[in-house]
Amino acid sequence: MSLLSACDLTLSARLGRTRVDVLNDISFDLAPGEVLGIVGESGAGKSMIGRVISQMLPAGFNVRSGSLCFDGEDLLAASPGRHRELLGDRIAFIPQEPLSGLNPVLTIRDQFNEHLARLGVPRAERRQRAIAALASVQLPRPADLLDRYSFQLSGGMCQRVLIAMAFASNPALLVADEPTTALDVITQAHIVELIHSLNREHRTGIIFITHDLRLAARICDKLLVLYAGEVIESGPASAVFADPRHPYTRALQAANPPLTGPRRQLVALPEQMPGLQALAQVEGCRFGARCPIADAQCRSSQPTLREVGQGHTVRCSPGCEAGARRGDRPLLPQDVALPSTAPIILELGGVSKYYPGNRTWYGRRRAGVAAVKPFDLTIRAGEFVGVVGESGSGKSTLARLVMGLERPTTGSIVLEGKEVAVPGSVAWRHRVATTQMVFQDPQSALNPRRRVIDLLTQAFESTVIPQQGDRAARARELASETGLPADILSRYPHQLSGGQKQRVNIARALCMAPRLLVADEIVSGLDVSVQAQILNLLLRLREERNISILFISHDLSVVRYLCRRVLVMYRGDVVETGSTEDVFANPQHAYTKALLRAVPPDEAGQSWTPLQAEAVDDAA
Amino acid sequence: MIWTLLGLLGRRILISVPLLFVVSVVLFVVLRVLPTDPVAMMLPPTATQEDVAAMRAAYGFDKPLPEQYGMWLRGALHGDLGLSTASRTSVTGMLADAAPATLELVLCGVVLGCLIGMSGGLAMYMWRGRVAETATDVTSTVMMSLPEFLWALAFVLCFGVWLPVLPFIGRINPSIHLPTASGFYLYDTLASGNLHGFVDVLRHLALPVMAVALPFAPGIMRVLRSSLFDVGNEEYVRLARLRGIGERRILLHHMLRNAVLPTISLIGVQAGFMFGGTLLVEIIFAWPGMGNLMVTAVRNQDLPLIQGIVLSYCVIVLVLNLLVDASYLTLNPKLRSA
Amino acid sequence: MLGSPRVVVGGGLVLLLLLTALLAPWLAPNDPNAQDLVNVLLPPAWATGGDPAFPLGTDNLGRCILSRLLYGARVASYVAITASFFAMLIGTALAVVAGYFRGWVDWTISRIVDVWMSFPPVILSLVLLLAFGAGVNRVVLGIVLVGWTRFCRVLRAEVLSLGRRDFVPAARLLGFSHLRIIGKEILPNALSLIVTLISLEMAVAVIVEAILSFTGVSVEADIPTWGVMIADGRTYIDEQPGALAFPALAIFLAVLGFNLLGDGLRRLFDPRLGLSRSQAT
Repeated sequence: MSLLSACDLTLSARLGRTRVDVLNDISFDLAPGEVLGIVGESGAGKSMIGRVISQMLPAGFNVRSGSLCFDGEDLLAASPGRHRELLGDRIAFIPQEPLSGLNPVLTIRDQFNEHLARLGVPRAERRQRAIAALASVQLPRPADLLDRYSFQLSGGMCQRVLIAMAFASNPALLVADEPTTALDVITQAHIVELIHSLNREHRTGIIFITHDLRLAARICDKLLVLYAGEVIESGPASAVFADPRHPYTRALQAANPPLTGPRRQLVALPEQMPGLQALAQVEGCRFGARCPIADAQCRSSQPTLREVGQGHTVRCSPGCEAGARRGDRPLLPQDVALPSTAPIILELGGVSKYYPGNRTWYGRRRAGVAAVKPFDLTIRAGEFVGVVGESGSGKSTLARLVMGLERPTTGSIVLEGKEVAVPGSVAWRHRVATTQMVFQDPQSALNPRRRVIDLLTQAFESTVIPQQGDRAARARELASETGLPADILSRYPHQLSGGQKQRVNIARALCMAPRLLVADEIVSGLDVSVQAQILNLLLRLREERNISILFISHDLSVVRYLCRRVLVMYRGDVVETGSTEDVFANPQHAYTKALLRAVPPDEAGQSWTPLQAEAVDDAA
Repeated sequence: MIWTLLGLLGRRILISVPLLFVVSVVLFVVLRVLPTDPVAMMLPPTATQEDVAAMRAAYGFDKPLPEQYGMWLRGALHGDLGLSTASRTSVTGMLADAAPATLELVLCGVVLGCLIGMSGGLAMYMWRGRVAETATDVTSTVMMSLPEFLWALAFVLCFGVWLPVLPFIGRINPSIHLPTASGFYLYDTLASGNLHGFVDVLRHLALPVMAVALPFAPGIMRVLRSSLFDVGNEEYVRLARLRGIGERRILLHHMLRNAVLPTISLIGVQAGFMFGGTLLVEIIFAWPGMGNLMVTAVRNQDLPLIQGIVLSYCVIVLVLNLLVDASYLTLNPKLRSA
Repeated sequence: MLGSPRVVVGGGLVLLLLLTALLAPWLAPNDPNAQDLVNVLLPPAWATGGDPAFPLGTDNLGRCILSRLLYGARVASYVAITASFFAMLIGTALAVVAGYFRGWVDWTISRIVDVWMSFPPVILSLVLLLAFGAGVNRVVLGIVLVGWTRFCRVLRAEVLSLGRRDFVPAARLLGFSHLRIIGKEILPNALSLIVTLISLEMAVAVIVEAILSFTGVSVEADIPTWGVMIADGRTYIDEQPGALAFPALAIFLAVLGFNLLGDGLRRLFDPRLGLSRSQAT
C-alpha cells in the first residue's frame, strides 16, 4: 500500500483579486521505504508540497482540489489535533538551515527531552534514547554533546542532531526540504550518505526536496521535476536522469557545468521562471515563454502528462521530442595556451594574513587565527583563475587581500608592475582603476535607496578616477552588455530578481573598465539557469575585453567551466594549484581528492562513492 | 558559574570606580560655578560681610577648587558626605533615611511595570491580527503619553480625593510603630511580624508605584512584542511546530526565553528614566525619598546635599546596570562561553 | 503615509500644537501675565459664575488660564523642536563616527556615552540648570546635553549594521572618501530611524521641561509654562481644578501627538511591525 499519495493536488493562493494556482495537478505515489526526489528551481513550489503535508500553509493559501493520503488516511480532512499527533511522530521533517534549527538558549538535552516527552517516552529512558539517537547519526561523544548549545556546533553537526531527532520516533515518512543546501560539499556528501543509510535501516519513506538534479538522481528512487507549480516530468530516477524528455529538464541538465568529460557550452534559458503574478496571466504551457521548441499550440492550451516509458511521464506536446538533444551543444573552444608575453596583471608574493587574538581584560592574549598562510600567485591578462575551498578555508580573506580591503601581514602585492597599498594612499587610485570586486550577496551590495542607473554608474561620482562622458549613455551600455533589459534603469534594487541584481553588481564593477575582477561566490545563491547566464556572460567579457578574473567559489564544476587555473584552499593553506584540467583529473592532495569525490557525478551510469578513505578531519 | 559571571562582570565593576570618580569631579565643578552665591542665601539679609566670609570659611568655599574637592573626597571615602547647608545635618544621614524609600518605590515600580509590560507584550502577540491587539496598542500609547507626575495627580484625585479608597500621603500611617531597621518598610513590617503594618505599607505604596509603573510598562510591551515577532519567524520555532509541539509550549518555552533578551537591556535603560519620574511623584505623594530631598535641595541651592544625592543616584544606576548585565548573561548562554 | 491612522492623528495633534504656539499672540484673549485680583479662581466660561472674557477661567492671581495655556504652548514647542534637533545633531554625528570607524574611536565614544548615561536624565538636567540659571535656551541646552545619548546609542547600532553591508566596501572600492560614503550611503538609509527618534525625543523634551518648570528651575518667572501652571494649580485644586486640569490635558495631548507620530512613522518604515499575520514565503 502506498505510504503517501497525492492525486491531482491543486494549491491556490489569493493574490489581490485573482486566485493563482501555486501548485497545479500534482500527483505522486510514495511506497514505504522509497525515496522520492522533488526537483525544481526556486519559486517552483517544491517547498509548498512540504507545507501541504504539514498543513502549515501561509494565509490566503488553500487546497482547491485533489487529495493527499498518508497511510490510507486523508491528510487534508484530518483535524488539527490529529495532524499534531502525526507530526514529529510518524511524519518527520528536517530543515534547510540547520544552524538556526535549534533553539540557541536551550541545551541539546533540553530539546531532545522535549521531543522525547512529546513522543511519550518515560522520563527514566530519555537520556538513554537521546544518546542512542545521537550515536546513530555518527556524532562523536554523544553524552557530552547533550550539554552543548547549538551555537557551539558546526552546520553539519546541527543537521545530524536534527536528523537524530527526526528518526528518534522511527517515522514512516521523512520530508527533507533542501537539507544540504546550506552545507559544504563534503559535509553535504556525508549527510546525504547518512540519510540514505538511515532510510535503508528504518525503511522510512523519504521526500527529498532539492534544486540539485544530479544529487537527487543519486539518492532518489523516483524523481519529480517541478516547474512553476506543475509536474513537468516524473519517473524512475535513472530514467529521468539518463534520458530527460522535457525541454526544461534537458535545459536543467545542460545548464549544469560538467565536472568530467568534454566541456560543452552551457545552455542558458532566457529570462526566469514566472513569478506568482505572471502565472495568473499564463494560458497554455507554463514553460512556453522560455521553451526553445514551443509552438502556437503549446502557448494556447495546457499540455497533459503523457507516458513515455515505464512509469516515466512528461508534460509536453507529442511533437516536442524532436527538439534539441544533448549532443548538439557546441564544445567550448579549447583553451589556447596564453602567450607567455601576455602582460602580468597581478602578482602576489608570500602574501599572508594573520589575525592576532583579542587581549583578555587581565592581559593575556588569546590564540590568533592564521586566515591565509603565505602563498604566491600570478594572473595574466585574459586569464581566469579559480579559488576553491569550503567555508573557513580563507578564500574570502584572499579576495579581500587582493582587493585591498585587508592589509596583508606579510608579502607584496604588485598590480601591473606597481606595488599597491590600502585605501587612502596615492597608490590606491591605481588599484581602483585596475581591479574591481563583485560581492557575493547582491542584496547587501546594492544600496537600496538608489536607482539602478545611479548604481551602475556610481563610478562617475568618484573623485579618485573621474569618468568622462554621458552618464546615462554609459548606463545603457553597461546594461545591454550584461543582458539587462533597458527598462531596468529606473528601478530600485528591491524590484529586481536575484539574477538581475547580480548582473547589476557585475555591470557596476565593469564601469571603470578594470583589468581584473575579483568575484567572490557570485553565483552561489542563483538558480542553475540564471547561473548559466552569468557564466556565459563572463566568458563573453573575456573575449571582448580580455579581462582577468579571480573567481572564488565552492562549486568545483563552475570553476572547471570557467577557469584555466585553480587554487585549492584548506584552512588557510593553498594545498594544490595548477591547471584546472590537471588538478581535477589528477588530484594529488588528499583534500582535493575528497572534494572531487564529494560532487555527485553528472552522467548517469557513473558511480558515486563520496566517503572513501577519509583522510581529512571531519569536524562536520 | 558564579566565577564566570564575576569574571565577565569584572570589567564592568572595574570601570565603575573611575566612572564614579569622574562623575563626582564633574558634579563638583558644575555645582561650583553657580550664578548665585549659595552662602549668601543661607544667611538673613542683615548679615554683614564678616558673617558671610565666616560662613564661607566654615564650609570651605573660600579655598581653591581642587583643595575643596580633596577635602570632600577624603570625607566621602570615610562615609562622610559633608553637611547640608540648609539643615546643618549630615548628608549621609539624610541619604540613609531617604534612599530606602525611593529604592522601595522604584523596585516595586520596576517589578510591576515589567509584569504589566511583559503580559501586555505577550497578549499583543497572541492576539495579533485581532481588534484586541489594536486596542491594547492604543492603550499602551496613551499610557506612555502620560508622564509619571500626571498619573500621580490623576490617582490622587481619583482614588485619594473623590473616591477615598487609598492613602496618598507618606509611606505609612503615622500611628503605626516601626522599629527602625532597614528602612525598607515592606521588609521591616514582615520581619517584625506586623501584618497590619505590612498591609498598611502596601496600601500606601499602591498609588505611587502605579504612577511610576504605568509609563514604564509600554516600552517593555513594545520591545517584547517586536522581538516575539522576530523570534516567531525563526527556523527553530517552525521546526518545533513540525515536531508536533503545542503552540502554548512553543510560545512560553521556546520563544519567550529568546524574546526576553532584548527586553532586559531595555529594562535597565528605562529604570534609569524612572528615577527622573520619581522626583515629582515623591513630591505629590509627600514621599520622604531622594526625589523629595533633591527638589528641596535644589530650591535651597544646598550644594553638599545635591552632590550627595546625585552621586547616590549614580551608584544606584550603576548597580542596576550590573544587575541587568548579570541577568542578561545568565539568560543568554552564548555570552557565557565567550 | 496618510493612510496610517497613527500618523494622521499624531500629526494632527502636533500640527495643532505648532499652530497654537505660532498664533498664540493672536489667539489669546488676554495678556497671560496680567493679574486681575478681582476675578480670581473663576470657573470656565460655560460653568456658573464663569466669565466669557476668561474662556477657561482664571488662576489664583486672576490670570487667564487659556492665554497662559496658549503661551505655554510656545515654550513647549520651542523647547521640543530645538532640543530634539540639536540632540539629533550631536547624537547622530557621534553615532556615525563611532559606528563607521569602529576601533578605538568607537570604544572611546561608547565609554563617554556610558558615563553620561549613568546619570538619571532628569536629575542631570536639573543639576545643569542649577548651574546655568533660568532661561528657555538654557532649558534647551539642559535637555540637549542629556538627550543626545539616546540618539547616539540607537543610531550607533544601526550604523554598525549598515556598515557591515557590502555596499560600503563597494563604495570604498570606487574610490569614495569616508565622508562621501557616510553622507551618500549610510545616512540616507538611517534617515527613517532618525526621523522616528526625533519625534520621540520631542515627546521627552515636553515632559522634561514640564518637570523642570514644576520644580522651579526652568524659564524666567514671567513666562508661563504648563509645568508651572500645574505646580501652582496643585495648591488650590479644590477651588479651581481647571488651573491644573487644562495644562495637564495640554501636556498629555502634545506628548500623545509626538508619540503617535513617531510610532506611526516607525511602522511605515519598518513593515515587519505592521504585520500581524504571517505572510507567504
